[in-house]
Amino acid sequence: MSDHTRYQDDIGAYLLGALDDGERREFERHLAGCPECQEEVERLRTAADALPGSVEQLEPPPGLKARLMAEVHRDSNVVALPARRRPTRLVAVAAVLLLGLVIGFGVAQLGGDETRTVTATVAKAMPRAGGTLEIAGDSATLELHGMPDLGAARVYQVWLQHGDRLVPARTFEVGRDGRGEAELRDVGGAKGVFVTREARGGAQVPSEDPIVSVPL
Amino acid sequence: MQLVQRGDPRAFELLYDRHGGAAYSLAYRIVGKQGTAEDVVQEALLSIWRSRLRYDQTRGSVRTWILGIVHNRAIDGLRRSWVHDRRRETLDVVDERFEARERTEVEVARREEARNVRGALETLPDEQRQTIELAYFGGFTQTQIAELLDQPVGTVKGRMRLGLDKMRRQLAEGVA
Repeated sequence: MSDHTRYQDDIGAYLLGALDDGERREFERHLAGCPECQEEVERLRTAADALPGSVEQLEPPPGLKARLMAEVHRDSNVVALPARRRPTRLVAVAAVLLLGLVIGFGVAQLGGDETRTVTATVAKAMPRAGGTLEIAGDSATLELHGMPDLGAARVYQVWLQHGDRLVPARTFEVGRDGRGEAELRDVGGAKGVFVTREARGGAQVPSEDPIVSVPL
Repeated sequence: MQLVQRGDPRAFELLYDRHGGAAYSLAYRIVGKQGTAEDVVQEALLSIWRSRLRYDQTRGSVRTWILGIVHNRAIDGLRRSWVHDRRRETLDVVDERFEARERTEVEVARREEARNVRGALETLPDEQRQTIELAYFGGFTQTQIAELLDQPVGTVKGRMRLGLDKMRRQLAEGVA
């Protein structure tokens, strides 16, 4: 088998990303000097390029755009998001939480200088629930336990408080053991982390007062 | 796209509105989980936003370019983190998916395109379609596919190439 024929056989695999790194580099070296293979690659590329369009078309979860745009605005040094909530609402939320709907609050400094763990404040309606937020630099992990199962239609959603706004972060589910966790980014500068129950796919504006809150 | 390259957030928002659905759908098809698909799309689109000048008009449409980046991220994620744990497919919750609503012309066009390309894929002999899907959506290399299907690598290479060629003809004829 000539070298050319051998490489020509790889064209399909190359376009589908099915060559390993070594094979791909070798193929590309050949391709650079082979007009015949170049032509064949361009010819078959139309089919390979069409493949991503063949999948079932879904609606992206609404929180995705909000998170993405928050990052983009942060990069551009533009004020993050248009105000979605009146400040009074957050004050009211805080007041409700302070008025005894909570079962515990505490802050502990653990580990080195970089890591700290904050105990979550949980609504009284969830007597067995509790958890912590472990913050390391700009990232954090929210770990909760004793959380009720929300069924298939709803998920828990995390919110970061920036100024007087709640910015949607990620959604998460809890396992059968009632445990759930969410890795969070861009926590630095946030004044608090909150959790609400939302329809699956997440929301851009919280639909209820937070059931978990972690003031920072 | 030029405005995105100049760092205009509104232009980036338009880009998301136009292509975000297709990007998420592709990521979801590959990684099979909502949260992971969201992470893939976010990383891919932020890399576009932050790199700005890399889009080369001679290499096809903006959509093709974006979906290529999403595909690479998703496959990287698969290869890195899950080592092809196919169990995820059976563990996945079907309810997580929200079918795109046909509200706008863009969404109608995107579903129409999906039907056409699926139609072209379905005209392929099963073994060609399976091989193409394992490679493109499963992230398997030709060697891994050969092992999975217990076939010589040469056969796998042939199926991919012949399958793509047949798909190309179907798409060109508009038969699909």
